[in-house]
Amino acid sequence: MKDEISTTRRGFLRGSIGTAGAALVVSDAGCAKPAHLPGETATAPGTAEAGERVSVSTTVNGKAHQLEVHPDDSALDVVRKELHLTGSKLGCGHGACGACTMHLDGTPVVTCLLPATALEGRTVVTVEGLSRGAKGSKSLHPVQRAFMAEDALQCGYCTPGFVVEAAAFHDAWRKQHGTTEPSRDEVAAALSGHLCRCGAYAQIYAAVQGACAGRFDASEAAPRYDAREKVTGAAKYTVDTTLPGMLVAKSLASPHAHAIVTKLDWSKALAVPGVEGAIDLLPESRRVRHAGQEIMALAATDERTAEHALLLVEVEYDVQPAAIGMDAALAPEAPVVYEAKTERKHLPNSSEGPLMPEGWKGNLRGPLRLFSKKRSQARRAIEQAKEATEEDRKGATLVEGTWRTQVQCHTPLEPHVALAQWDGEDTLTVHMSTQAVHHMAEEIAERWGLKEEHVRVLAPYVGGGFGAKATLTTETVIAVELARVCGVPVMYALDRRQELMIGGNRPAAKTEIALVTNPKGTLTAMRSVTHNDSGVAVGGVVGVMHRLVYPEAPREIVDYDVTNHAPAGKPFRGPAGPQAYWALEQAVDEMAHARGEDPVELRKRWDPNPARNALYAWVQALPEWRDRPKPRADRGRYRRGMGLATAAWFSFTQPNSHLELQAGPDGLVASIATQDIGNGTRTTIATVIAQSLGLSMHDVDVRMGDSDYVPGPMAGGSRTTSSVVPPAMHAVAQLKDELCDLARKHHGLSGVHVAEDGVGHDGGVIPWAEVMAIGPKIRVIGRRQRDEGGYYMPPMFGLAIEQALAGSVQVVELEVDTRLGRTRVLRTWGGYGVGRIVSPQLARSQAQGGIIQGISYALYEERRLDPSRGFLLTAGLEDYRVMGIGDVGEIHVHFDETGYEQIRGRSVGLGELVTLAPAAAIGNAMFDATGWRPRELPLRPDRVLKGVRG
Amino acid sequence: MIRFPTSLTELEPAAGGSAPVVRAGATDLTERRRLRMAAGPLLDLRDLPGLDTVEPDGTGGMLVGAKLRIAELAVHPGLAAAYPGLCAAAGALATPQIRAVATLGGNLLQANRCWYYRNPDERCLKKGGAACLARQGDHIHHACFDLGPCACVHPSTLGMALMAYEASVMVHGAADRTVAELYGDGSDPSRDHRLEPGAVLTHVVLPPPRPREQAAYFRTITRARSEWPLVEVLVRLVMDGDTVSLARVAMGGVAPVPLRLPEVEAALVGGPASAEALAKAAAIATKGATPLPMTGYKVDLVEGTVLETLERACHSTPSLATPSSGSLPEADEPPTPNPQGGA
Repeated sequence: MKDEISTTRRGFLRGSIGTAGAALVVSDAGCAKPAHLPGETATAPGTAEAGERVSVSTTVNGKAHQLEVHPDDSALDVVRKELHLTGSKLGCGHGACGACTMHLDGTPVVTCLLPATALEGRTVVTVEGLSRGAKGSKSLHPVQRAFMAEDALQCGYCTPGFVVEAAAFHDAWRKQHGTTEPSRDEVAAALSGHLCRCGAYAQIYAAVQGACAGRFDASEAAPRYDAREKVTGAAKYTVDTTLPGMLVAKSLASPHAHAIVTKLDWSKALAVPGVEGAIDLLPESRRVRHAGQEIMALAATDERTAEHALLLVEVEYDVQPAAIGMDAALAPEAPVVYEAKTERKHLPNSSEGPLMPEGWKGNLRGPLRLFSKKRSQARRAIEQAKEATEEDRKGATLVEGTWRTQVQCHTPLEPHVALAQWDGEDTLTVHMSTQAVHHMAEEIAERWGLKEEHVRVLAPYVGGGFGAKATLTTETVIAVELARVCGVPVMYALDRRQELMIGGNRPAAKTEIALVTNPKGTLTAMRSVTHNDSGVAVGGVVGVMHRLVYPEAPREIVDYDVTNHAPAGKPFRGPAGPQAYWALEQAVDEMAHARGEDPVELRKRWDPNPARNALYAWVQALPEWRDRPKPRADRGRYRRGMGLATAAWFSFTQPNSHLELQAGPDGLVASIATQDIGNGTRTTIATVIAQSLGLSMHDVDVRMGDSDYVPGPMAGGSRTTSSVVPPAMHAVAQLKDELCDLARKHHGLSGVHVAEDGVGHDGGVIPWAEVMAIGPKIRVIGRRQRDEGGYYMPPMFGLAIEQALAGSVQVVELEVDTRLGRTRVLRTWGGYGVGRIVSPQLARSQAQGGIIQGISYALYEERRLDPSRGFLLTAGLEDYRVMGIGDVGEIHVHFDETGYEQIRGRSVGLGELVTLAPAAAIGNAMFDATGWRPRELPLRPDRVLKGVRG
Repeated sequence: MIRFPTSLTELEPAAGGSAPVVRAGATDLTERRRLRMAAGPLLDLRDLPGLDTVEPDGTGGMLVGAKLRIAELAVHPGLAAAYPGLCAAAGALATPQIRAVATLGGNLLQANRCWYYRNPDERCLKKGGAACLARQGDHIHHACFDLGPCACVHPSTLGMALMAYEASVMVHGAADRTVAELYGDGSDPSRDHRLEPGAVLTHVVLPPPRPREQAAYFRTITRARSEWPLVEVLVRLVMDGDTVSLARVAMGGVAPVPLRLPEVEAALVGGPASAEALAKAAAIATKGATPLPMTGYKVDLVEGTVLETLERACHSTPSLATPSSGSLPEADEPPTPNPQGGA
């Protein structure tokens, strides 16, 4: 059976989860343009229509340009492609995200929708031109300085748009109001046309308000290592990369959720001048299992030609019955997604763990009971409690409920994109927006049968990932295959509709929970049964989270997958976590209410985890929590309430991580095959090295985003910090020894030893930097040494689980408008136990972003498919709603840095932990405010109105 | 093909040619062109002079050029003084970067945002298909006043606002008409307005302003900002002492066309603007609602949004403008000049 991509079987632990749909094999049917067809040279114009040009005179960043543009070209395309000013980004393509914003005669405008012809006679300023200033100096704009100083950015992809907009606001504001600080609402109004998927909004408020108040006019501060590149538009993402002679690829996707492709003929498309090659993406079975599944792709000299050619591809489908969503898939007579046993091997995996062999019944896969503990005891206790009358229970308490969650899309603002270049038949370079340069190079080598040293993956800047870019997926396969077929470099990028459809999503879940306590309030039994909807993927494991917390009680934990004809789920920041805690932490809250007990006191009794207990103490000391009003204190239109939830997450580390340090007169270079997706990897490494050598962060030249460096971690499972800090420290320790050696041998010093801030010797201490400066060059490689007490689970597939859990407690205060059904999170406090914080400002930013994504998930985000045919309805960032700056209230972040001595480096991951509990805390706050216990996400106005009005 | 006419006489399509696709700010058109939903030769109004001005119409009302940018409309001192609800609505739609390039005429004539209509693979009623796909599918954002075979909601906030101002439009190449006539009754599923193909909307005519008008615009959305409305309402009230002497209420986001709510208006006029009166009037707004299976909640939002907007109107400062024989109300500062403007 050739229906599956070969790299799906190893699961997340090695790096691959699967691909869009169950099937991805590029057959040998790839086809270059035959030589006898006319107009096949790479420089040939496209169609006659595509060749139409209009002259436009415009001034961009102070320079006059005479351009020849197509009437339908956007201003963004022309500025990026013709003028090579790539700071402005294509995000959503329909004016919702603002990443493309430029100044047109001084006013910020949306340029993805602005015709290039509208630039005639106008003056344009892009982010690259912002810093020139009236005096012609190269100095940064105060807003750029403020964004750097306040760390108002993460992946940086949306940053140029925000900065350009905020600069116009700032300039107008200061002209009119001097250095009076604008209100948050005024800032939100000005920036309301921008979206930041990383959720940097809290710091963006601080930056814009501070810039307007004149606080950053001369600031040079930048806690983030690569902030300057990101605020100036200098950072080059994969979408900004070009190679000489490169083609662009476009794909044809199935509009049907389930079909057999009976005809696929691209001969007319291939005859179009400018079209250079095409490939077949269908499996041998020719079966399509979800709408949006790419069935073929072609490469052409430009996008317009490629899109025109796709219209000429002849496809016929034998449309089959489809099941969309869990209810349809479990109905009697439902069409079965994977009929044959052979098809059920090697399925796409939506989770981080390896797939266990499990039973199947139609579309139902499972049960997975692996995470149960004293299962029959738990079941018995729950059945008894259910059957018992109030009297029989004798003070024992039973809480039961069913909670549902929706499908959430990762939708990073930089889409999945790859640019592949072959050098001969055995050497391949792939520029790709990935969370895993090292792993992708391995995967690519294996898939195409190449030597690992002949494959190079490059990702200097990555515009967000959130789990969606940790695997080898179709964008890379298409770019690599078409580059081979066409013999020139080929780039393939998903558009926003595709990104939302096949780019990745968090599976939906339906979880039934039952908790039983004895009269003393001890948790005596827990039961959770979850049905996971990962579309054509499997591997839903909400239950693992239900094993992690309150670990002492007997429990029955069951997970099922319900396959259906929808795109594959993928691991999404804290896979299974938000779904799991949404259900469990509300059930725990109900138990506290049922027992009339304080929700923190109850958790303290049930939860032995030291990190979370430190956080419970912190919450109890929070004045806002301690002095909160009684439940349902408000009776009017607006009702406020507070709630909290707790969460746990694993500490993963990647033991094969290394870090290379080169020190000499030319400076200090740290290199590693890892990447910075906005999580701050560059900053973490530079900080650790600089601190141990008495240097400043920018004294370390950190090089990454290149698989040719020594192996480093993927950005997945929150493993980065615990994987890069120890090898960095190990490398520094070796470097210090080498420098001492150097001092001893070459400079004849005596009594040489490693001192706190340099080479100690009988005559004093020479600072590290001075010893390095006199050379010669030293090269050391640091390793990720194991934790002192070993690991909880020894390395499997290159990943180890450490003997610690990260812990969080989230407190939320919200307000519900009972007239219009709207919910606002006014204030939130996140407390985290993750050991030592390497970079406090970046850790705070990451926590704020995770909270914001969690709130966005709870209140707004929801992928919707046509209920019977399964094509995407929420196909853009208008209908797929992510949180905007105006939705962000006060966010307070607290780190408890105690403990974690057993972890080398004493730092565990933060990135996922922070997004797990917000939804559950919102559910509990909703109950506190209104007495209505929400069961289903997101909390849309229609649900809230129904809930609070009864 | 693209043409940039420099005078109204050049707007006529070439003999035998198909009707061109008219382009102004293009904030809607660009995406539809990309999705192959608006193919054909372009008639780009970029170089057409004189359509971005605001001037007296000679009868006490005002003539607003269709190329006026929405951002300029929102802050135009003369308009804000005379038609405060219109400017409030203009300032609240879309995003700042879109308002900066989108035009008044383009907003009135934009295509609806139905997610079936915007799917390039699907052929709904509006694209010549046999059935409304939303009606049989997912229509959670769709109509709760089900006026025709198409279940979409009309996207134009300014169209809705101009209904409350009883405005009309001037059309080059076809008859002038009221805004209500521009949209019809919602029973024609094939298009979002009734302008003839190739005709160009050149001006909006605003009737003479009412003195001491209290107006408010409000849209109910899920997030705080920048979202298409679930329900949007514009209210104009004129008080005579404690009595409502004039009420105009229009509503969008609920039907294939913007709606005037004459029964709500009638309920208000002649009575006090008391909390009870406003609540009673808001309840009337839901009269005749015919929600689809998934839009029942919108009926609740209609009542809530009308009430919200009525309350806001009551709390707003009365406008200054009085009907004049043709001179513009005094402006604090001249309107921002449009760099490509002609007159």
